[in-house]
Amino acid sequence: MKTNYLLLFLSSILWLAGCTDKCKETRTYRRYTPVNYTLAQLRQGVHVENAQTLVNPGKIYTKDQFLFINELKQGIHIIDNRNPSSPKPVAFIRIPGNGDMAIRNNTLYADSYMDLVTFDISNLAAIKEVSRVPNVFPNGSFEGGWWSMDATNQIVYDQNVSYVTETIETNCEENVTPTGGWGWFTTALSSNAQFSSADKAGGSTTTNGVAGSMARFALYSDYLYTISQSTMQLFNIKDPANPKIGNQIQLGWGIETIFPYKDKLFIGSQSGMHIYNNSNPEKPERLSVFQHARVCDPVVVHDHTAYVTLRSGNQCGGFTNQLDVVDITDLVNPRLLKSYPMRNPHGLGVAYPNLFICEGAYGLKSFNISDVMNIDRNLLDYIEDLNAYDVIPLEKSLLLIGKDGFYQFDASNPRQLRQLSHIPISRPTYY
Amino acid sequence: MKRLLLYLIMAFSAGNASAQLFPQRPTYVNYTEVGGLFGRVLSGPSTTQIVENKVSLTAQTFNGVQLTQRVAVGGLVGIDWYKSALLMPVGAGIRYDLIRSEQNVRLLAVVDGGYGFAWLHTNSTGYDLKGGWMINPGIALRVGKPSSSAFVMSLTYKRQTADVQKPIGGNDIQRDEARIYNRMAIRLGVSF
Repeated sequence: MKTNYLLLFLSSILWLAGCTDKCKETRTYRRYTPVNYTLAQLRQGVHVENAQTLVNPGKIYTKDQFLFINELKQGIHIIDNRNPSSPKPVAFIRIPGNGDMAIRNNTLYADSYMDLVTFDISNLAAIKEVSRVPNVFPNGSFEGGWWSMDATNQIVYDQNVSYVTETIETNCEENVTPTGGWGWFTTALSSNAQFSSADKAGGSTTTNGVAGSMARFALYSDYLYTISQSTMQLFNIKDPANPKIGNQIQLGWGIETIFPYKDKLFIGSQSGMHIYNNSNPEKPERLSVFQHARVCDPVVVHDHTAYVTLRSGNQCGGFTNQLDVVDITDLVNPRLLKSYPMRNPHGLGVAYPNLFICEGAYGLKSFNISDVMNIDRNLLDYIEDLNAYDVIPLEKSLLLIGKDGFYQFDASNPRQLRQLSHIPISRPTYY
Repeated sequence: MKRLLLYLIMAFSAGNASAQLFPQRPTYVNYTEVGGLFGRVLSGPSTTQIVENKVSLTAQTFNGVQLTQRVAVGGLVGIDWYKSALLMPVGAGIRYDLIRSEQNVRLLAVVDGGYGFAWLHTNSTGYDLKGGWMINPGIALRVGKPSSSAFVMSLTYKRQTADVQKPIGGNDIQRDEARIYNRMAIRLGVSF
């Protein structure tokens, strides 16, 4: 009997001694390839086409129950959203180098690498380019890939982005730094969007569209505000079809998003949130800067509180991923109330008392923010199985854009967001 | 699924089995053991892979009922100190007497299963550890009179999964790790 026990034990030990941990790290990252275009080539590339499928969506914008979805560097999809359960593509405006847009009344403003292009969209069946302000944007970035204009040689130097997914075996610990093919660069996904409002200008009512928190274009009074990496360029749009170059304001480095709220402008940069007094729309004046670690930070505002998401990765740098809640009662001295850890927050939207935060590849979160000191305890819903880049909360619905397409939710119950529709991308996978 | 598991554990722990179904009246039984989880890991790019040995501390207590002379079932809770994961397995298990000797030595078949929770784990900045399923079959020796305390030595295979979200930097979009701890568990303890 004893021999049997011993044999059983010994054979088990021999077999089990081969036990090996299996730890696999899967990483998806961006890879850049240089590409050049002539300015003439880019300017001739603008035209209206039939509706197309989403391939690599960027930002979203909405006005009068129509959706405008940016196709990164390609143009703008126009979608009829009068029936949110079944949005219908209407047309596609091909605009090389497009990343941002803004709409006032029936005039669409869009960037095309170095130019600002204006379209008349009063008749969606006959959209036409009405004017162009050339060479106003000297450089910029898409998905962390930088482009720049060489005015002398009439060339734009750009980088195409591809997504690479790799898997390696790790030693199941936390101290493994990717090496070799797992190179660490410092670049970032910059984005844009803004919220809109109705302005009374010159006695006539004007209506603006609504953008997300990642916008780089904003409308206020008779001005279109556009931000580049370091400056805010104003355009006078008193004559909407013919924007005139206005003041240029130096903002500092790493500027990313602009959010107009009442007569203030909140500008997100890689080093902090800038607050500008815009009571003189022709010449915004800086009130203060709320500093934070070097990361990307879109911002939204409700009453006396600003909500800033900080994320790492790409050109954002840093390793901070959190939501900062900032008291802006005193606009000259913004004060951090509390920080909440997040996964990889991108755009966000507030429809008080609810706050929606896009977590990039990690989904969408819905919070109740009635108690700003306990937001983490008030997570109402978390949808993990989608890619969320930016969000626009409307009265009862939620528009969301991500790398896997456009989603529309019924947000009347923020504890249980109900999907109304989804426009998928046409690629088999989004990375 | 986790809730179902907890119900099962409660049912087992409460000695829910009816005495009429079994030839003997169920009696309380406890196995408390401490030991090590031994294994290796192979890591790195395919051209320069490195092998490391791994040892982690483990402890667990099994509380249940002796349903028959051979079979005991119950719930278990434990703790496993992996290098970068502190997990608390909670689950259910079975102890089955394979062989009984005349010298009060019994050879047991042991099967435990459950979920390793990361409740006690503290994440480093940028990391987010989630637990995972655990299965732990093997054999054990129980030395001592059946009616009194006994010494227990077990040799089992333990498979524990865990998922980790890792810090995003550089050009990263997504960075996750799926871990499977395959370990040989050697434990010593007492039973009563």
